[in-house]
Amino acid sequence: MGELLHISPILASILVMLLPLFAFIIQASLGEKATSGNISLIAILISFILSATIVLPGIWNKPPQYNTYDWFTIGTKTFTIGILLNNLTVLMQLVVCLIAVPVHIYSRAYMKGDPGIARYWTFLSLFCFAMLGLTISKNLLMLYIFWELVGFASYLLIGFWYTRDAATAANKKAFIINRVGDIGFLIGIACLYSLFGTLDIIEILGEGGLFSQGIVDQQSSLMTLAGLGFFLGAMAKSAQFPLHIWLPDAMEGPTSVSSLIHAATMVAAGVFLLSTLFPLFNDTVLLFIAIIGTITALMAAYFALEQHDIKKVLAYSTISQLGYMMVAIGIGAWDAAMFHLTTHAFFKCLLFLGAGAVIHEMNTIKKHDCQTIDPQDLRNMGGLRKYMPKTFILMSIASFALAGFPLTSGFLSKDAIIISSFEWAIHQGGLYHIIPIVLVVVSILTAFYIGRLIFKTFFGELRINTTANSLLHEAPKTMLWPMFFLGIGCLFFCFSPSPISYHLAPILDGFSVTYSFSEVHSLHIIIPVTLTLTALISWWIAYRWYVLDQHPVHSYNLDIEQNSNRKVAVFDFIPYHLANSLIIFSRWNYHFDKYIIDGSVNAIVKFTLRTSQIASWIDTYIVDAIVIGISNLSKRIANFSAWFDKYIIDGLVNTIAQTTYYFGHLLRWVQNGRLQNYLGFALTMVLIGIIYLILR
Amino acid sequence: MISITHFLIVSACIFCCGLYAVLAKRNAIMILIGIELMINAAILNFVAFGRYDKSNYGGQIFALFAIVLAAAAVAVGLAIILAVYRHYKTINPDNITDLRD
Repeated sequence: MGELLHISPILASILVMLLPLFAFIIQASLGEKATSGNISLIAILISFILSATIVLPGIWNKPPQYNTYDWFTIGTKTFTIGILLNNLTVLMQLVVCLIAVPVHIYSRAYMKGDPGIARYWTFLSLFCFAMLGLTISKNLLMLYIFWELVGFASYLLIGFWYTRDAATAANKKAFIINRVGDIGFLIGIACLYSLFGTLDIIEILGEGGLFSQGIVDQQSSLMTLAGLGFFLGAMAKSAQFPLHIWLPDAMEGPTSVSSLIHAATMVAAGVFLLSTLFPLFNDTVLLFIAIIGTITALMAAYFALEQHDIKKVLAYSTISQLGYMMVAIGIGAWDAAMFHLTTHAFFKCLLFLGAGAVIHEMNTIKKHDCQTIDPQDLRNMGGLRKYMPKTFILMSIASFALAGFPLTSGFLSKDAIIISSFEWAIHQGGLYHIIPIVLVVVSILTAFYIGRLIFKTFFGELRINTTANSLLHEAPKTMLWPMFFLGIGCLFFCFSPSPISYHLAPILDGFSVTYSFSEVHSLHIIIPVTLTLTALISWWIAYRWYVLDQHPVHSYNLDIEQNSNRKVAVFDFIPYHLANSLIIFSRWNYHFDKYIIDGSVNAIVKFTLRTSQIASWIDTYIVDAIVIGISNLSKRIANFSAWFDKYIIDGLVNTIAQTTYYFGHLLRWVQNGRLQNYLGFALTMVLIGIIYLILR
Repeated sequence: MISITHFLIVSACIFCCGLYAVLAKRNAIMILIGIELMINAAILNFVAFGRYDKSNYGGQIFALFAIVLAAAAVAVGLAIILAVYRHYKTINPDNITDLRD
């Protein structure tokens, strides 16, 4: 170990990136035989150790290090690739490793016995390579390549069960929508290149770089376009409204994949990109980012209220949390965004892994009873607390973190974002207050839907009749250990020495961002207390509704149907309307998402398809027809001239030849070699002569 | 009264018989006989016309020469036929078509 420590952080980080690539190559060349996944697991484990012991201590709070290598030259411009290590990139790399290791271990149990498991490990290693490469790219072009590669790996993993129609449809959707974002990214790259003549992040944004020299006007429209382009890329990757529609569908992939890619790491790449390029964005772009982030956070939280699929609830929750991070970037507190990204990675990954364990058990029931139930449907679950207590406790911790209860990591990072946004709003004044207020509402909704998920899954009684009760058991140890590890990562002491104040968090210190707004001390007490209280109230309501079964809508309906004499009390009346309107609004929102946003995307896709069909029709029936017609015509002419040649010209010659031959044949008969015939002819001629002389 | 015309008619008849034999017979010997008949018809004409040449008897003498020549010709003809038979194993003139090209 002592010798290993002498490796420079640059070399170590390259190794961290390349090890999963080697694992991918080995797995791919071994083919179907490599089912154990040991190679991938060992590679990511070594990556994790290198990242945690060499890269992070060597870089954190020290001057950034980088290495550049020439790649290729076009004209006089040389393109480079390089490794950039600073606080941001090493943190992101460590987070990716840190989440990938438990997911790899978990997958060993979760994916056991799947016929395509060799493929699974191959794809997972490819993804890890791409994601780790993305984090430490120094050059935007290189970043773009890894960005694409991450999207491609995600495409492969969403469609892992490619025999399901839904999975193939989902991976196509994800890929196409990500392409839309990639165009934005490419526009951003092109704008930067035309402005700076280089794509090197250090040359542009580093100390004494082109950007700090002030040769480019930050307010110029090209800079705005570049900023919006990069944000479009981040929107698609980080599932921001209206490009968020691929993420819920991406839940068709294996749950372990959802937890790694579609909750913790890949979807955070957009936030990471915006944080890396943060100085480039001017106020217009930042405001746009904040607005989109707010809309996303609110809409996704509403959708999550009415979902029945356990994974979809978590997917919408992820979108909503990503919206938070976007708001944090939009208000300039990108350190808070990265902080929330890190804490979110832990608790959302844990929630997904727990959901995977629950789905696993529901599948057991499904197989045992041969029922046609959906194992992911919350309406079928309930009372699982008795059978899998450890999973219950771990998922509860994660959902406390998501809801932002004190002593959890989510409390710190969420407060950081909401308090910063309030301070920002006070600084800006006026209508800007809408954003922090919406964030508080979203926080309440978040607490409610995650409470609903926990109560519906683990409390009460199992909602389906089954005889498989005895078969239900705790998840296997290989699944539980990674969850324990992540569960510890959901607690405050991993991130900050103080359970209440986020200011002491080393992650925030490491970035040392200077805010454009001043600190308001009173908020630091009011906001956490408000958030905690509202979260408690929403959990209490969720508990009343889903565990005690005092769902106001439900009981009101019962009253109407069964007992019209019973009076509806006033205090029931108000929650009823509140709940009803909430639910209607959530449904309406969901339908809006499903039919308007999805619909418009589908319409565009259909329009494109139709246009291509028309184009193909024109191609087949008009362009091709002309060509075919001309070719047919020349064929006809050729046929005719061939016929003319054969039967007229040749025929004439042949006829003459045959006539000659016929006559020759006719005369040849005379020359038969028989003397008597010759004499006969001679006599005939003599007789003819005599007759001529007589008749003359 | 037998006039010269009668001789000429007999002579013509013999010539025609000989010509027929030469043209139609499928045996070389019969052809040779036909040739003899035609020569004899000619000789008969010589003798018949010799009546009007009382001074020199030229017709009678030509007839004698012709008879001798005919005998010689028949000898040669028979020899040729023998040679042809040896070569072709047949004396049917229809089967001998070597003059054809």
